[in-house]
Amino acid sequence: MTTDEAPTAGEGAAGQSKRPPFDTSVANQARIYDYLLGGKDNYEADRAAVDAVLKIAPELGFTARENRAFLGRAVRYLAAEAGIRQFLDIGTGIPTAGNTHQVAQEVAPEARVVYVDYDPVVLAHARALLKSNKAGATQYIDADLRDTGTILDQAGRLLDFTKPVAVTLLMILHVIPDSDDPHALVARLMDALPPGSYLALSHLGAELLDREKAEGFQGVVRRQAQQQYIGRTREEIDRFFDGMDLIEPGVVRVEEWRPDHEAEAKSALWCAVGRKPQEGSHEVL
Amino acid sequence: MDSVGPDSEQLLSGLEDSAGDAAVLRMRLGSQLRRLREAAGITPEEAGSRIRGSRSKISRLENGRVKLKNRDVTDLLTLYGVTDEALRSKFLTLVTRSNGPDWWAEYGDILPAGFESYLGLEAAAATIRSFEVQFVHGLFQTADYARAVTALMRRAAADEIQRWVSLYLRRQELLSRPDPPHVWSVMDEAVLRRPAGGAAVMRAQFRHLIEVAELPHVTLQVIPFASGAHAAGSGSFTVLRFEERDLPDVVYLEQLTNAVYLEQRPYVERYLEVVDEISSEALTPDETTLFIEQVARET
Repeated sequence: MTTDEAPTAGEGAAGQSKRPPFDTSVANQARIYDYLLGGKDNYEADRAAVDAVLKIAPELGFTARENRAFLGRAVRYLAAEAGIRQFLDIGTGIPTAGNTHQVAQEVAPEARVVYVDYDPVVLAHARALLKSNKAGATQYIDADLRDTGTILDQAGRLLDFTKPVAVTLLMILHVIPDSDDPHALVARLMDALPPGSYLALSHLGAELLDREKAEGFQGVVRRQAQQQYIGRTREEIDRFFDGMDLIEPGVVRVEEWRPDHEAEAKSALWCAVGRKPQEGSHEVL
Repeated sequence: MDSVGPDSEQLLSGLEDSAGDAAVLRMRLGSQLRRLREAAGITPEEAGSRIRGSRSKISRLENGRVKLKNRDVTDLLTLYGVTDEALRSKFLTLVTRSNGPDWWAEYGDILPAGFESYLGLEAAAATIRSFEVQFVHGLFQTADYARAVTALMRRAAADEIQRWVSLYLRRQELLSRPDPPHVWSVMDEAVLRRPAGGAAVMRAQFRHLIEVAELPHVTLQVIPFASGAHAAGSGSFTVLRFEERDLPDVVYLEQLTNAVYLEQRPYVERYLEVVDEISSEALTPDETTLFIEQVARET
């Protein structure tokens, strides 16, 4: 079964939900990631796809772990150094160790985190496992990244949009095809947030897997997975931060962003963190 | 995927001070034996024949289902090439401890065999997910509710019922353990609507549910009648998951006369699929609390 055949709501209509049906016979993005991280919330089809992919590109296991480590470092930076107390985590995935609110609340117990996902099973897990401490808060929004109106509307009730918010979009933009204009989606989110807000993202890099591996990977995904993945170039990643100031070290591989350990390999993900400047004041990296 | 190789330094670390029940220790030791066997490249059949048994004996032993015998463990450690005397003797000390009595031993006279092994699994689990069609999950029952349900189900005499109730309360200490499992229970609305022990007992039970739902490691969800028929045509079941990567999930099915344990992956995954599906269809935990409050007002 390919994604093309899967019944999806609002297929083709930009800005609408393309929620995946709950189907354990095809590999699912959130469950693939769970399995790569050593979790048990995955099914036979997920494991088969991952095992096939790892034979072609073994660095994808490392890539998933480094993405998780990047989440930790980026959220810690945002809470501890940038003083952010409000987070909008879009593409939450199945909870594992070191989730956004845990990292943020370790630095600032009063931190508020809104989790957004379009996968109903992921949301059920998130509601069960991503419980806030007493001082802070966590909430969950059932929405597709393409539906920025719903996300902003609901997040605005939980977060104070007159104060800075950090938006995290980790390993999610690469399932949004160009036809849904991912750059415009990100711009719409950031436009609604005040100066001093941040964007952190990670994204499959078009140049980071050699051609043969990329083709093999795409072949498995096309045949066995619910979501399709689009690698984008460093330049395209950079464009997500148009009008923002990139935080050092700019667009780099996930393991290279303010590392706290020696990387054992090279991942296939670009990442960056950027800040929305005060009106008229642009810092240059 | 990291493979967990048997590093003799690390092998038993954490096990010695694991305060838990004998049953928990048994599962952890079994899991270590599996790693040692796999690292030595020995099949379950070979290992089984070395200890005068079969493949399934090894599987029961590695999954912590049976008590370990010193003689078997000694032979297996030799077969797996564990020669370090200090390590071997540490392993055997832990084996002895894992054969110590479990807290429920004193209830041996009333416990059906199937339930006894469930208590061991429950104590060892990191996550307990259940779907309940008729009764509140045992870990969340009040004493009065448990009394009413036991009187109904066990056809027991008054003094025996009292022992069942105290067993249930002892079992619930799991929830206040320093490192408690995450207990995630989805209940059919029928559980709330069918009064066990009368309205007063039910109202107290509702208050208790609302209270435990506040615990960080407890998730309660109700699937209301209004959401129509659901995927769990099977009736109540519990899925137990363990921290160790190589311990398989177990599905526990309590039946009128016996209990069934499913461990084979395709079967287990079918239940996981159903429990994932109902959890995503049921009321959210926040909505559930409001719903229970509403039912309480109507009771």
